[in-house]
Amino acid sequence: MSNPVIELRNITKRFPGVLALDDVSVTILPGEVHALLGENGAGKSTLMNVLAGELQPDSGVILYKGEEQRIPSPFVAQRLGISVVHQELALCNNLTIAENISLPASANNPGWMPISRRRFEQKARAVMEQLGLMATNPRETVGRLSIAQQQLVEIARAISQKCEVLILDEPNSALTIEETEHLFSVLRKLRADGVAIIYVSHRLEEVVRIADRITVMRDGRHVDTSANDNTTVESLITKMVGRSIDYFRRQDDIQPTTNRALEVQSLTCEKHVTDVSFHVNQGEIVGVAGLPDSGKDELVDCIFGLRAYTGALRIKGRDASIHAPSAAIENGMALIPADRRGAGAFLVMSVQENTVVSSLGRVSSLGILHGSSVQKVAQQYVNEFDTRISSLHQKMRTLSGGNQQKVILGRGLATDPAILLLHEPTRGIDVGAKAEIYRILHNLAAQGKAILIVSSELPELMGHCDRILVMYQGQISGEFTHQTANEQAILSCAMGQ
Amino acid sequence: MTTVVSVKSAPITPGQRIRRLLAAREAGVFIALVLMCVFLSLTTEAFLSSRNLLNIGRQVSVLGIMAVGMTFVLITSEVDLSIGSIYALASMATGILIVDQWQLLPAILVGLFIGGVVGFLNGVLSTFGKLPSFITTLGMLSVVRGVALLVTNGEPVTVNANSGSLPDVLAQFEFLGQGTFLGLPMQLVFFIGVAILGWALLSLTTYGFRVYAVGGGVKAARVSGIKVFAVKIWAFVIMGVLSALAGIVGLAFLPSAQAGRTGAGLELDVIAATIIGGASLAGGEGTMLGTVLGVLIIGVLRNGLILLGISPFWQTTIIGLVIIIAVGIDKWTSSRRVS
Repeated sequence: MSNPVIELRNITKRFPGVLALDDVSVTILPGEVHALLGENGAGKSTLMNVLAGELQPDSGVILYKGEEQRIPSPFVAQRLGISVVHQELALCNNLTIAENISLPASANNPGWMPISRRRFEQKARAVMEQLGLMATNPRETVGRLSIAQQQLVEIARAISQKCEVLILDEPNSALTIEETEHLFSVLRKLRADGVAIIYVSHRLEEVVRIADRITVMRDGRHVDTSANDNTTVESLITKMVGRSIDYFRRQDDIQPTTNRALEVQSLTCEKHVTDVSFHVNQGEIVGVAGLPDSGKDELVDCIFGLRAYTGALRIKGRDASIHAPSAAIENGMALIPADRRGAGAFLVMSVQENTVVSSLGRVSSLGILHGSSVQKVAQQYVNEFDTRISSLHQKMRTLSGGNQQKVILGRGLATDPAILLLHEPTRGIDVGAKAEIYRILHNLAAQGKAILIVSSELPELMGHCDRILVMYQGQISGEFTHQTANEQAILSCAMGQ
Repeated sequence: MTTVVSVKSAPITPGQRIRRLLAAREAGVFIALVLMCVFLSLTTEAFLSSRNLLNIGRQVSVLGIMAVGMTFVLITSEVDLSIGSIYALASMATGILIVDQWQLLPAILVGLFIGGVVGFLNGVLSTFGKLPSFITTLGMLSVVRGVALLVTNGEPVTVNANSGSLPDVLAQFEFLGQGTFLGLPMQLVFFIGVAILGWALLSLTTYGFRVYAVGGGVKAARVSGIKVFAVKIWAFVIMGVLSALAGIVGLAFLPSAQAGRTGAGLELDVIAATIIGGASLAGGEGTMLGTVLGVLIIGVLRNGLILLGISPFWQTTIIGLVIIIAVGIDKWTSSRRVS
C-alpha cells in the first residue's frame, strides 16, 4: 500500500453552539476514490473546508505527504495540489473553456505580458484529452455550457495545475445519469493517474459504484472507514442513521379533521416536479421529505405561486388560480421561506414592521398606517410565541435565528391564513427555539390550520407530522403515516430504492 | 463515450463562421451604424463628404478617448462617474502651467499625473475601501470639480497669444488640438492611437485577460490567484489618465476652460457610448471594437440630426432612447439564447 497523501489527525472544529467536528481522523491514499458520507450537519463540508483552507481547525493536525502542514487559505491549498470542485462552481462565465483553464497558470505573469489564445487552447485540448473530452470545443463560452459540462471544466482547470487531491463536493446533484457516467469515467482516469479523489455525496448507489473506500460521518464524528467490498446501500444508511434520538413525538390526542384545506392535483413544474397530487386537511400537519434535488423545494414554490407550473390547486374544495404569491396570500396561504435572511426577514427593518408587512391592509386606512394597530398586532405575536426582543423597534438583524423565525411566523399568521407552508422551518435554529416552534405548530394545527412542512431534517418530520410524503426525482415515491414512519424506510424511498 | 458538446472544434464551415460573426454583440451595433450611414447619405447631401466625416471623427474623439478607459472599468464591473471632473481639473492644470510659461511636455505630464492620481484614489476606495464605485466616484465627481473651482477661483483658464505662454509652446499645444496629421485632425489621431493601444492591452495581454476574468467571476478570479484589487485599481488609473488626456486635447482645441462647466455631464455620454457598444454594467462583457462603434453611433446620430435640421433638443431625447433600445435588444435576445 502506498503512503497516504493526506492524514487528518484528531481534527476538532467548534462553531458557536455547535461542535461541528469532534476529533475526526481520516487518511486519504493516492489513487483512490474516497467517498465521504453523512447526513446534513454530519460535518462533511466542514471537514472538506478545513482541508481546502477555508476553515482553520481548533485542534488537530493535517499531514500532507507525511509532513505536518498548515493550510491557511484556499490559495495555499491550491499550491499544495489540493483542488476543490465546489457545488457552486467558481468559473468565469464570460470566458471560454480554454481561458478558464489557463487562468491560474497566468496568475503570476506580469500584466503586460502578451497572452496567446492559441496556447491556451492547446493546453486546454491537452487537459481535455487526458479527461476524455475530445469532443468539446475549448473556444466555447463557459456560461453556455450545462452544469455538468461546467463541472468538467472545473475539474480540467484543477488538473491543469499541480493536482494531487481533488475534492468533489456533491458533484452529481445536478447531473443526469449519462452525465454522471461520464463524470465517473473521468474520475477513473484520474484515479489511474494517481490522483486522490475525495467524493462527497448523498447518492449512495453511485458512491457504492465509484468509491474504493467509504468514510461515514455522523454528528461531527467519524463513524467508520472501510473498503468498498460488497457494501450495500442499506448498510450505509444504517451507519449514517444509527443513532437514537428522542423525537418530539406529537403528544396531543387531537385528530386532524377530514376537511380538505388544500388539494394539489397533478402539479407539474418543468424539470423539477412531475404530476404530484396530494392534499392537506384542516388541522393536519403534512411533511414533505426528499433529497436536495428531489423537487420538494420547487414544489413548495409552485404552491405559493413563486414558480410557473401546470396542474390545479383547490382550496377548501374550490379551484384557486395561484400564479403569484399575492394570489396565494389572498387565498389564505402563508409561506415561511427556507432562506430566512434572504427571502424571509427584512433585516434592516424593525420587529413590528416585519410582522405587519404582509397584512398592511389590516393596520391602515386610506393608505395611512396606524401606529397603534401595528404595535398591537406585533405585540400579540410576540406574546403568543414568547419572542425574545428588547423592543418592537428592535432591528430584525440583531435577533437570533429562532426569534427571527418567530417574527416571520407571526407575519404569516397576521394574514389569517388557513394554510401554512413551512420551508425548512428550523434550519440554523438552536435546539431550544426548535422545540418552541414545534409547540407553536402543534397549537396552530389544533386550531384547525392546515400545515405543510417541507424539510430536509427527517427527525423533525417524523416527530411532528401526521403524514409524511417522500419525493424522489420530482415524484412522490412514498407516503407514511405518523405510525408507519421510520427513518430507514423514508431514506430508502428518498433514494428511489 | 458521451459527447459533451456537439460543436466540433474543426473544421468550421463558412456558414458557421458567418453565423458566429453575426452572433457577436458588435455585429448588431455595426449593422445599426451602417443603416444610419446609408439613411443619412441618401437623405442629406452633406453627410458623405469627407469634410463631414472627418468632422464627426473629430467631434467624437474626446468622448472616444474616455470611452476606451470606461471599457476597462465597466468590464471589471465597476463604474466611474468622476471622469467629467477629472477632464476639467487635468485640462485646467495643464492650461495654467502653460500660461505660467512651462514647457509643453512637463505641463501635459502633470495633467496626466493628476488624472492618474484621482483614478488611483477611486480604485483604492472602491476596493480596499469597500465602497461601491458608484458612490466613490459620485463623491469624487464633486470633490474634483470643487478642487478645480478652488484652484482657479472660478476664473476661466484661457490659453492663447494674450495669456502669456511661451509662443513656441503655445503653437505646439494648439497643434495638438487643431493641427492635422496625414490629413486627419489631431484629436482623431489621439482617439485612434488610444483605441489601438486600448484594444491591444485588453485583448492581447495578461492584464486584459484578468480584466475579463475579474468581471466574469470574482470568486473564480480569486481562486485562480488573481489580485482582484490590483486589476480594478489599474482600470481606474487608466480611466483617470485617459480622462486627463481627453481634457488636455479638448483644451488644445477650444482653448478656454472653466471649472464650473467644462466636461460637466461628460460621464453620462461616455457610459452611454460604452454601453451601446456592448459593455455591461454587470461586468465581464465588452470589447474595444464595440466601444468604438458605440462612440461612432453617438457621433453619427448627433451629426445626422443636425444635418436633417432636427431641433438640437431632440438629440438628448433620441440618444437616451438609443441607449434603452440598444441595451434592451441585447437583454431580450440574450435571455432567449439562454432559455
